Amino acid sequence: MPYAPEHDEVANPLRHGLRVEIPPEPCAVVVFGASGDLAHRKLLPALYNLAVGAHLPGAFGVVGVSKSEYSDTQYQTDMREAVGKFSRTKPIDDEVWRDFAAGLRYVSGSFEDDATFERLQGTLAELDRVRATRGNRLFYFATPPSTYPTLLRKLQKHRFIEPPLEQRFTRVVIEKPFGRDLPSARALNRLVLEVLDERQVFRIDHYLGKETVQNVMVFRFGNTVFEPIWNRNYVDHVQITAGEELGVESRGRYYEEAGLLRDMIQNHVLQLVCLTAMEAPVAFDADAVRDEKIKVLRALAPIEGPEAVAQRVVLGQYTAGQIGGNDVPGYQQEKDVAKGSRTPTFAAIKLNIDSWRWGGVPFYVRSGKRLPKRLTEIAVQFRKLPHALFGEGAAAPNTLILRVQPEEGITLRFSAKVPGERYRPRTVSMDFRYGTAFAAASPEAYERLLLDAMRGDQTLFTRKDEVEAAWKLVDGILRTTEAPDGSAPFSYEAGTWGPREVDELLARDGRVWRRP
Amino acid sequence: MTVSLGEPIAGGQGARGWDELSVRFDEVVDLSRIRALLQEAKERGGSTAETVSTINLVAIYFSSAAYDRARAALEAAGRLHPCRLVVLIAESGAPAESVTARISVVRSGGAVSLERIVLTATGAGVRHLESALIGLLLPELPVVVVWGGRAEGALLQRAVGAADRVIIDSGTRPTEALAQVATMLVRGAPIGDLAWARIFPWMALAAEVLDIPNLREHRANLKSARVICAGAVGAEGALLGGWFASRVRKARVEVVAGGDAETGSYVPGEGDGTAITGYPAPAPLGRGHIAGFEFSAPPATFLLRRQKGILTAEVRGDDDGKVVHRVRLPLETPGRLLGLELKLVSGQDELYVAAVQRAVALLPRTAA
Repeated sequence: MPYAPEHDEVANPLRHGLRVEIPPEPCAVVVFGASGDLAHRKLLPALYNLAVGAHLPGAFGVVGVSKSEYSDTQYQTDMREAVGKFSRTKPIDDEVWRDFAAGLRYVSGSFEDDATFERLQGTLAELDRVRATRGNRLFYFATPPSTYPTLLRKLQKHRFIEPPLEQRFTRVVIEKPFGRDLPSARALNRLVLEVLDERQVFRIDHYLGKETVQNVMVFRFGNTVFEPIWNRNYVDHVQITAGEELGVESRGRYYEEAGLLRDMIQNHVLQLVCLTAMEAPVAFDADAVRDEKIKVLRALAPIEGPEAVAQRVVLGQYTAGQIGGNDVPGYQQEKDVAKGSRTPTFAAIKLNIDSWRWGGVPFYVRSGKRLPKRLTEIAVQFRKLPHALFGEGAAAPNTLILRVQPEEGITLRFSAKVPGERYRPRTVSMDFRYGTAFAAASPEAYERLLLDAMRGDQTLFTRKDEVEAAWKLVDGILRTTEAPDGSAPFSYEAGTWGPREVDELLARDGRVWRRP
Repeated sequence: MTVSLGEPIAGGQGARGWDELSVRFDEVVDLSRIRALLQEAKERGGSTAETVSTINLVAIYFSSAAYDRARAALEAAGRLHPCRLVVLIAESGAPAESVTARISVVRSGGAVSLERIVLTATGAGVRHLESALIGLLLPELPVVVVWGGRAEGALLQRAVGAADRVIIDSGTRPTEALAQVATMLVRGAPIGDLAWARIFPWMALAAEVLDIPNLREHRANLKSARVICAGAVGAEGALLGGWFASRVRKARVEVVAGGDAETGSYVPGEGDGTAITGYPAPAPLGRGHIAGFEFSAPPATFLLRRQKGILTAEVRGDDDGKVVHRVRLPLETPGRLLGLELKLVSGQDELYVAAVQRAVALLPRTAA
């Protein structure tokens, strides 16, 4: 919830022009699902690293809530171990940890049980007293989506929710997946907004917390040379790839429910499309940025019905293969995956953005598990030369590649003359690598997002209408692919770039996929 | 000309895993020789690595000892902001005329992220430094000068004229030196100041307490402020007072000495330049450092105090009773302050300019 000044309120004269980042207001962070993987691997290490960087307010506390039985001391010990293992800064700074752990509490109990929330009230009141957290609360739902309605109702029933713009703040961070289709996302939004104001809701997509994803905006709107050519006049097409070497590992049960379209396309990949295609916002604030992103989502041509899906979507599922010289099992051999499962682990989609800027410029997106490498990139392929001065095909079209992970950076591919020979062009690369240009370690995505949520800055969180617009596109595809008579996904061998059919998706347009 | 190749020069620094190449010029400085050694340093350990530079960082000292104290911080800041670091050490008091160049590189992520050239000139050799520097700067990149001497003199004026930014540390100089800084700022000198970066946490906490919802009502009624420096009035206290005065123009502001320092370091007037030392903890409270900051908006009084590594804000006289707020001071790792200042590589920090002007106006009445 960005702070909205009263009409007659005097601006803070001491805040003007400060170059230093001011820590958020005092607050307590309540993590539901505190004994789970996300809390251990990401949330607590992120909060600890914020403490190391002196980004947290001095008056700060964390309360973990989950079913597992822990005392405060046991939880502190367990979390110290988790932080020691998963923190990006090592070793643990004892002094920082002592201060951080002094504000770390644990409440065990079922989310269904009122007594759990009564104990939570008591613990938060104690934190307000001894850590001066002043009644400000950030609730983090690090739990399965099925628990969200219960948690919201209980928070409401036990009067944890303060109206926005009151003296104290209440904010709720909700993890993906936000719904499993458009109707369920709408229903969840309705429920959320019965209990909370939109300014209190922080729907998290951790991709947006990545420095390199944020850099897409800086690259586009912080330079004058690229924006004039960032349109249908110069761009032939865009390819977005988000691949993983890993399979579903221990998440078979979740994945069987979700599949690739829900797990990656509806959120991460469409966010990358938005950042690549959006117009410049009028200001760099939460609503201005999200207003522009949603225009892109609304401009996406729907993909509905078997014919459109067959023309523009290829789904796949990995079979056994080899990655990095090791044998890996097929999807249907993974734990908790049904034999004969039709869950896609790969998707490639041709997106059309019906807008003045992007009319006729396809955005090809692909994402999958068990691909040859872990890689996320946006490749903007510029048009061919209007005249082949050096021979047909001698000079390849320019490509600009924004690498989100790994080897974060930007590469521009262009033609240069091969030395010694008469005007023979060859494509060369001009590289910018984050790791070398800025030697400072980038914060983890969760660090940035937790800090923003504590500050009330929603710029990197998705808004209600944004979530629904993204579901609208994916829902259209799901209705066809998950219909009883829908086709099974194509098979692809683990360690390849998807099923053979994926090449045809571009071949029909006279194009080929990049081999990153 | 004497050249020693392949021999690390400890130079009293101990092993750092860097191989330094060196060359000594007794008469004419040969820049092509320095460039050749730089290339050789880059080629060590295999093929030539890609070089990444975002700035030219030039550090100027007037004794090797001053550079030795700043070295860890310069290296750390140089790693944070990949650069060509050219260190000029002018020891004009030494009898013999010579210029020695020490050259080394640091790799990061497979690329060379820090090229370091240290030119030490003795005696009349000092006259060669300025022109040698110009030939060693990378083209197109901003030039940031870290000035390790008194904030005065012709050489500083020339550095200011040639650089995109000049970073000084007024915390190591007598507070009166702020007047010279103020004069240069008025002329548009793009000066940055580590003393300014050092007071960021105080400024942030003061701003933060006025953002607390039930304390916002006091913003319109700020009347006075008092900065308390440990042992003696220092430049940091003056800058904090100047900042407040520039932001709340009608307020009465004073800077006073009070209490004891935790260490005797940073004695105003006794420093010899940019002493960017590092601590694995919040820096100790030195003489002249800020121990407290109070400002009032009747009936409320805001009391900011430093207690070891924590800044605490206490608010008294508010309707809601006593309010306490605190922030942890950042760990004083080498190069942290310089790294902060290097985030701005050109132009002036308008807030700093205004603060210095007001600080100078405060000092005659308040300096201890």
